[in-house]
Amino acid sequence: MAAPPGRQGAAGSALTARPCDKMAAALRAAAGLRLAGPGHGLVFTRSAFVARKNNYEHPNWFGVGLAFSTSAALWALLFKQHNEDVMEYERRKEASKHKCTGCS
Amino acid sequence: MAAVPEEARGLPPPPLLNKMSAWLGGAGWMAALLANGFSQRPLLTAGVHRQVLLTTVGWFAGYFLAKRTQYVHAKKDREMFEYVRHHPEDFKTAV
Repeated sequence: MAAPPGRQGAAGSALTARPCDKMAAALRAAAGLRLAGPGHGLVFTRSAFVARKNNYEHPNWFGVGLAFSTSAALWALLFKQHNEDVMEYERRKEASKHKCTGCS
Repeated sequence: MAAVPEEARGLPPPPLLNKMSAWLGGAGWMAALLANGFSQRPLLTAGVHRQVLLTTVGWFAGYFLAKRTQYVHAKKDREMFEYVRHHPEDFKTAV
């Protein structure tokens, strides 16, 4: 009663094939058409990326360096901007002293 | 969000240590800690570069937000006092 192994099409063997043979044949056909996913499932979409487990033994030193250097640059920019703001405010305060203060 | 207008530079700038910066910096730090928590990493000692970066970004954004807030409030105040000045009859105080 067992169907011979490695048999391709399930259509012509309806009388003698067992259900698991039909499934095996469908999966083989699906694999040929790239429809078979991991396990028993049929997959009709493809993932754009493959998820990997993070490996903490090898740090992403480039990412770490980029993060720290970006932080340093942002702090430098902030200090510079603040100092410029203070100087501009002081300058405008001095300048307004020489103007009339009749209006607001 | 538009940049702070030019005339806002006549206002005293907020100090580098201000409430908005502290809040957004703290929020950035919490986001980094949350990321550690979700990835099942040690909470405070892992990803220090991430914590520093997110805190910095929050602090930076908070400074500019504080400047803009100050400008918007000052502008409203100026418009309000101008209106009061132009309509004294509406703002008579009890003698």
